[in-house]
Amino acid sequence: MEEQQISPVSQDLDNFFNIAFDGVTRAQLRQAAVWAKISTICAFIGYGVTLIVAFINQFSTSASILGAFVVVALGSWVNYFLYRFAVSTIRGIDSMDSVKANEGFNNLRTYFKILGICLIIGLCLAALGVLGFLASLGAASRY
Amino acid sequence: MENSQEQSLLQMNLDYDGGHILHETVRWSRFLSIVGIIAISLMVLVLALAGTALAAVLPALASGLEALAGLGTSIVVLIFLVIFAILGFTVFMLYRFSVLTRRGIDRQDQAAFTEGIKCLKIYFIIGGIFAILGLLGNFASLVSIFLLTRIHP
Repeated sequence: MEEQQISPVSQDLDNFFNIAFDGVTRAQLRQAAVWAKISTICAFIGYGVTLIVAFINQFSTSASILGAFVVVALGSWVNYFLYRFAVSTIRGIDSMDSVKANEGFNNLRTYFKILGICLIIGLCLAALGVLGFLASLGAASRY
Repeated sequence: MENSQEQSLLQMNLDYDGGHILHETVRWSRFLSIVGIIAISLMVLVLALAGTALAAVLPALASGLEALAGLGTSIVVLIFLVIFAILGFTVFMLYRFSVLTRRGIDRQDQAAFTEGIKCLKIYFIIGGIFAILGLLGNFASLVSIFLLTRIHP
């Protein structure tokens, strides 16, 4: 009987975060991962179609083909992390494996991080564009 | 006693690493959602201030929106408002995921954590539907290019 008793301190350390993935949470998380997987697969197929369209379109220039390549490369890179989130999380939930689930969350973190950094870069470029536009307006009003 | 031990073995818990990773995840998703909410609010404001002028000009400016040119301006504004409402709801779900999951982890609140994950699910469902629609649009453009090359080889 004594062997079965677990001290509250060690229990606290084991479950530092006292939050459980109960049945409802697991079902919600699994559905989220399934839909994330669907959206990434659609995105990957869409990127393939975009490349085909860029190549066979008679009106496309080399710049537009290059642009399509950049968009497809960036999009594939970002969506790869979302796909890995989906796969790892589904596997973790199905096998009740916290390590796999954590791996999935880590990929979700990377996905949001990349999107956030891209957004910051985009906002900086937009701010620079606005500043440049205002500067050119100011210069034009002088002359 | 045995039953409760078996249950705790079968139960999946959020451990230290998972909590730490989720904490950082919700920080980035919160940033994204706040910027998204501001951007959508600005777009709605622009639509409200210069809606009729934009609705008349936009179909001619943006490729793929030529079909809107035949519709009335009020219908075009309504279509844009519906699109903004859907986008706003999606971004709001991402914000709720960030806030509720963080609250769940910080206060050890199981209900808030589950609600946060539910919001993440809704966010990905809407994202998935948009992805399917985008894929259909891509296929439509592929088919139209094939048809164009057949008509004008």
